Amino acid sequence: MEEAALISAAQQGRVDAFNDLVLAYQQQVYNLAYRILGDPASAADAAQEAFISAFQNIARFRGGSFKSYLMRIVSNGCYDELRRRKRRPTTSFEDFGEVDEEANPALANGHEGPEEYAERQEMARMIQAGIETLPPDQRITLVLSDVQGLSYQEIAEATDVSLGTVKSRLARGRGKLRDYLRSQGELLPARYRLE
Amino acid sequence: MGRLFIRQAREREQDDELLSAYLDGELSAGERARLEARLATDPALRAELDALRRTVALVHDLPTVPVPRNFILPQTMVARPRPAPPARPRRAWAAPLLTAATAVASLLFVVVLAGDLLLSGVGGLALAPGAEPPLEAEAPQPQALAPSPISEEVEVEKAMPAVTVQAVAAETPPEAVLEAPAEAEGYDEEKPADMEPPAPAMDSGGEPSEESTVPAPTASPPVAEEAAVAPAALTTPEGAEATVSAVGGGGPGEESTAHAPTLSPPVAEEAAAAPTALATATAMPERYVGSAEPTPSEVGEVAPRATGEEAPEAAEGGRGAPESEVAERATTSRWRTLEVILGLTTLGLALATVWAWRVRRQ
Repeated sequence: MEEAALISAAQQGRVDAFNDLVLAYQQQVYNLAYRILGDPASAADAAQEAFISAFQNIARFRGGSFKSYLMRIVSNGCYDELRRRKRRPTTSFEDFGEVDEEANPALANGHEGPEEYAERQEMARMIQAGIETLPPDQRITLVLSDVQGLSYQEIAEATDVSLGTVKSRLARGRGKLRDYLRSQGELLPARYRLE
Repeated sequence: MGRLFIRQAREREQDDELLSAYLDGELSAGERARLEARLATDPALRAELDALRRTVALVHDLPTVPVPRNFILPQTMVARPRPAPPARPRRAWAAPLLTAATAVASLLFVVVLAGDLLLSGVGGLALAPGAEPPLEAEAPQPQALAPSPISEEVEVEKAMPAVTVQAVAAETPPEAVLEAPAEAEGYDEEKPADMEPPAPAMDSGGEPSEESTVPAPTASPPVAEEAAVAPAALTTPEGAEATVSAVGGGGPGEESTAHAPTLSPPVAEEAAAAPTALATATAMPERYVGSAEPTPSEVGEVAPRATGEEAPEAAEGGRGAPESEVAERATTSRWRTLEVILGLTTLGLALATVWAWRVRRQ
């Protein structure tokens, strides 16, 4: 069924129609939460809560991008979780910088050898650790932009800030991540194979 | 040294903003040209741009993590019903705008009133030859009512019998004008003193102004209307009582009591948020007085006396006033009209403002 029809049906209370939307978007939603929060368990919780909230408030959705609608709910939930963590440092310490590879093996490229795969995993861990050094606002903005591919305008709507704030947060987040990776020796030309 | 470091850090931040926007194609043509010129001559800046570009690419190429499970909802999940329309007015500027409009209107009203008083005040008030002695009633009233803001309004009333009369003049026969001056003569001396407080009293807002127009001395429908308007306008019991007290003590007590009965029909029609005022307006002066909060005693004093005094005045209407009064009346009637209009406008705006702020706060 076409997305608009599914949304319409969901607004009539049809859970099964909404679940079609869930299946279509859950990977994006989960990845967004995962990149922001850094661990699979938290990401799963955030994703589930986001979908529940999205369905419960579906009456308020008045058209436009359903993806943006979801992204907004997810980022808000992640933001709240990050703030909760700040208040309970033990939790954040456990999750800080930890990327549970075994539970979350990245999808392997078909043409990638095991060495390359391992290196890519290593790099991903490093980048994720760098992302987690960013304060919540910059982190969410960077992930929405550079992981999820949202435009400045979409990010502004999702995070409810001005375009100028989006640009500023994004620039700072990227700059900080760059400095982190550089300090880790990850931006040396020899290591950079993605050009 | 620290300051240099901070400045360098800030410059780096500013550069990063430029570079980041540049990567996303978000720079204006001018900004882009300027940056590219800098890049051409600044290898360090070029290095930063490269590093930034690589960083963005690395994040972009982060592997997609597969979902650990499905997140579909159980069939028992229920959606919340469509929410009610937002209570907040879509036009959030309404409340402040109305507030400003009310302020302007009350200011204009005050100005007109003050102008009227200053220009025609003492002279106009001195016109009435047979000033009744509601003075005694007036005198104690101001002091008695002083404590409360309502008393201010009462003072306003009392101090401006001429004004209020004029306000009604448009619709009432000249008798109205005569009555005020008549009563005023007795307390002419007090007039100036009384006139001062009213100005500040009225400055306090639109409502007092309304009330000053309320106690139109003539027992006639227009007066009734005004009295009714004031109660209708005032959305608080205080206001109603203020009106009552204003009417009860406003101007010479006689006036208020005299037109108390005549108030009933129009008041009954217009009475809105001031049931007490209504009740008292339609009731005898004593009851009127009784519901007046600030100084029931004084108002009570005034009322009976007023009744006795007001009746003859009201009945007489034009008591052979000299021609000068007629001329004076013409001018004052114009003033009155203006004051009525401004007063009602201020009142309406004040109401709308209160309503708008209430809605906004929801």
